[in-house]
Amino acid sequence: MTRLALILLLPGLGCAQDTLARGQEVFNKSCATGYCHGVKGTAGGAPKLASRGFDQAYITQVVRGGIPATGMPAFSQTLNRVDLFAVTSYVGSLNGIAPARLPGADRGPAPRKLPEDAMRGRAFFYEAVRGFDRCSTCHQLDGMGIAVADPIVKIPENAAALRSLPTPHVWTAVAEGESFPVLVVAKGGSQTKVFDLTKPPPVSRSFPGAAVQLKESSNWRHADAIASYQDAELENILAFLRAVVKP
Amino acid sequence: MRYVIALLVLTFSAFAQDGATRADWPYYGGTQLAWRYSALDQVNTSNVKKLAPVWAFQTGDYENGLQSTPIVVDGVMYLSSARSQVFALDAVTGRQLWQYKYPAPRGYANTQNRGVAVGAGKVFLGTYDDFVIGLDAKTGRELWKVAVDDARQCGCAITGAPLFVKDKVIVGSTGGDGAFRGYLTALDAKTGRLAWRFYTIPGPGEKGNETWKGDSWKFGGGATWMTGSFDPALNLVYWGVGNAASDLYAGDRYAGEQAAGANLYTASVVALDADTGKVRWYYQEVPKDVWDYDAAYECVLIDREVSGKMRKLIVHINKNGYVFVLDRVTGEFVRTFPMVENHNWTTGATEDGKFLGRVEPVENKPILFCPSAAGGKSWNQIAYSPRTGFIYSPGMEMCAEYQAKQQEAEEGRGFLGGNWSQSLPPKDGPIRSHLDAFDPVTGKKVWSYQYKYVLFASVLATAGDLVFTGDPEGFFFALDARTGKKLWSFQTGAGHRGSSISYSVNGRQYIATPTGWGSIAGRSIMDLWPESETFHAGSTLMVFALPEDSK
Repeated sequence: MTRLALILLLPGLGCAQDTLARGQEVFNKSCATGYCHGVKGTAGGAPKLASRGFDQAYITQVVRGGIPATGMPAFSQTLNRVDLFAVTSYVGSLNGIAPARLPGADRGPAPRKLPEDAMRGRAFFYEAVRGFDRCSTCHQLDGMGIAVADPIVKIPENAAALRSLPTPHVWTAVAEGESFPVLVVAKGGSQTKVFDLTKPPPVSRSFPGAAVQLKESSNWRHADAIASYQDAELENILAFLRAVVKP
Repeated sequence: MRYVIALLVLTFSAFAQDGATRADWPYYGGTQLAWRYSALDQVNTSNVKKLAPVWAFQTGDYENGLQSTPIVVDGVMYLSSARSQVFALDAVTGRQLWQYKYPAPRGYANTQNRGVAVGAGKVFLGTYDDFVIGLDAKTGRELWKVAVDDARQCGCAITGAPLFVKDKVIVGSTGGDGAFRGYLTALDAKTGRLAWRFYTIPGPGEKGNETWKGDSWKFGGGATWMTGSFDPALNLVYWGVGNAASDLYAGDRYAGEQAAGANLYTASVVALDADTGKVRWYYQEVPKDVWDYDAAYECVLIDREVSGKMRKLIVHINKNGYVFVLDRVTGEFVRTFPMVENHNWTTGATEDGKFLGRVEPVENKPILFCPSAAGGKSWNQIAYSPRTGFIYSPGMEMCAEYQAKQQEAEEGRGFLGGNWSQSLPPKDGPIRSHLDAFDPVTGKKVWSYQYKYVLFASVLATAGDLVFTGDPEGFFFALDARTGKKLWSFQTGAGHRGSSISYSVNGRQYIATPTGWGSIAGRSIMDLWPESETFHAGSTLMVFALPEDSK
C-alpha cells in the first residue's frame, strides 16, 4: 500500500520528503541489496556511502555514469529521470546534503502519466509470465523490449486489425535445406542477415550471401505471434500504444 | 558403423562412467560429468616443482577479473573475458586466432562471464544482457544471436557458461535475489531456435505451483546461475536451482509445510529430460530456504559403491555448508555432511536429510548466521579424482548478521526481504578458508589445507595426483592429492577467481589458469583485510608446462 501511494505521488515528487522516501526505496532495491552498499549505505560488499563527505555533483556523476573497472554500474540507462534524481538526493542526504527540487518538476512537460487502460496494456505488453509470447519479445518501446520489428509508428484500429496486421516485410528464406519466415536485416554482398521467425524468440542469423535464397512473401501471421492475448487485453495494449507512440 | 561406435560408447559409459578429460578440455566441468579432473599425468608429484610458465595471454578486459574456464578442443583454446569478449588462441603458443568483439553495452553491474561452451563446430556465449550467441569455431564469425530475456526488465544476466548437450545448448540465468522467475533455456545449437524452456517455478496448473503462496510464484527467484551437468547414459541434465525470493523473508511466499517441499523447485537439484526439459525428479535440499543458501552450484556425477552396492551419484554442495550426495537415477537422498566448521543455522541433519534446530532470520533483530550468504564455498568449483576417490573443495569460515523484512516485489529489482551485515568472523576464530579432501561416500575429511584469506578459485585435480588452485594474493599452487602437502607455487601477479584446466598438444601436458582478482565477492573482502588492497586486479591467462628438456 505504501508503495502504491508513492507511485501515485511520483509524477510530481512535490516535496523533499517524497523525494527522499522514493530515493530510499530505489536505493534499497537497486543499491542496498545484499552484495552491494547495504541499508542506509553502511556498506555491504561495496563501499560505504554514508557520511563520506561526498558532494552532490560527485554523487550524481557516479550514479549516472558508474565507475569503470569496478562493479559500480551506470544507472542513467536503467533508472528513469525521477528515480535517478530521487536516489542521488537520498545518497546526498546520507552525506548531510539537503535535497533540491527535481529540476523542471514544477514546469515544462510533466512526467508521463498513463490512463488506466494504457497502464494495463503496458503491463501486458512486457508481461514476463507469458514467456516469449509477449509483445516485447519482438518490439522495443519506451527503451524496453527487443528491437526485432521496426519501430511501431502506425497503430491498428482494434484488436481484430492488430491480429490481421499486414506484415509485408516478413519474407521466406530458403537455407540449409529448409524454408522459414524471416525479417531481412541486410542482404546482398558477402552476407545475408535475417531474423528467423520460425518460433519465438526471433533469432538473428547470418549466412554467406550465396547460402540463402529469399522470397518476398510468407505464411507467417501476426495473429499467431499474439495468440496468447485475449481481445480485451489487446485493446489495452492498443491504448498503451496510442499513449506512448509518437506519430 | 557410426551407430555401432555410438552404441559401444554408450555401453561403456553405462558401466564404467568416465568423467576424466584427456588432450582436450571440452566442457566447463572438464567433461559433462563435471569432475574437473584430467587423466594426464606427465606433470606429477615427483616433477611438479619444475613446472614453469610457457605463455601468457592478456585479455585487456580487466573489469570483474577473469572468472572463466577456458575450453580446449583440438589444440585451440576458447576463452571468454568479463565483458563477453571471446578469444580463440593457439593452445601451444598463445597466439590469438580470432576475437569476437561483443559490443558490450554499459550500465550493467554484473558483467562477469564464466566461460563459453564448444560443440558441433561452434562456440556458444551467454552475455550479461541476456543474449545467447553461436559463433563459428574456426573463424569467430557470428552465426546466430538471440535474446532470451530483457535484462533491463528482469534484472537478470547470463554469467554462467552454457552447457552443450547433444544438439542443444542450455543456458541459465542470474536474478534470484531480485523479483524474477528463474528458468533454463535450451536452444538448437545449429539454428539458435528455442528447443525448450524450463521454469524453475511451476506456473498455475503445474505440479509444484501449490507450494507458493498466492502470486508469489511470479517473482519467486530460483535462478540457475551456474552450469549444470549431463549423464548421456540416462539422458538427464542436472542443474542446481537457487534460493527463493524474497530471500530472507518467507511470509509472503511460504504456503505451509507440504510433503512435496516448499517454493519448488528453488533450493533444489533438478533432473531434466535433455530432449524435452521436463522434470524427471527433483530433490529439495533445504525446504523453505530463508538464508539465501542457494543450491545453484555444480552437480558432480560419480559412480561409487555405497553400502556394498554400485550407485550412480551426484555430489552437490549447497551454500549452507553441507555436501549432498544423491542417487542421480532416482533423486533419492544418500547422505549429507558439513564441509565447514561453522554452520549454526541448524543443529545438524537426520539420517534422511532433514535439518534440525533451524534458526531463521527475524525482523528487527540481527542474528549471526554461519555460513554467510557468500556460502560455505563460493561458486568456484570442486574437483573429483577417481584415483583417490576424494572430492576437493574450498571452504570458508565466514558469517554475517541477517535481518528479515517484509518487502513487496518490484519486477527486476532487488528482492532480498531484509539485509545482512558485512562479513563477520565465526565464534571459533577469524574469517579464514581451507581446501579440503573429503571421501564423498563416507563424508570423512582426509586432509585440510588452511589459508588465512578466502579461496575463491576453482580446483583442478589430475592423474599426476596433483590438486591445483590459486589464491587472492596471486599464488597459483599445487598440492599433493593424497596428503594436501604444498609441492609447488607460482606468483602470477594477480589474484585468482577463475578455473584452471589441463590439456595436451603433441604429447606435452599444459596447465592453464586465469588470473585476475575482481568480482563482487572479491571486492567485498577488501574491507576485511586492509592488506587486500595489494590483491591486484588483472585479466591474464597463464599457461604452464614442464621445460621441454625435462619431460
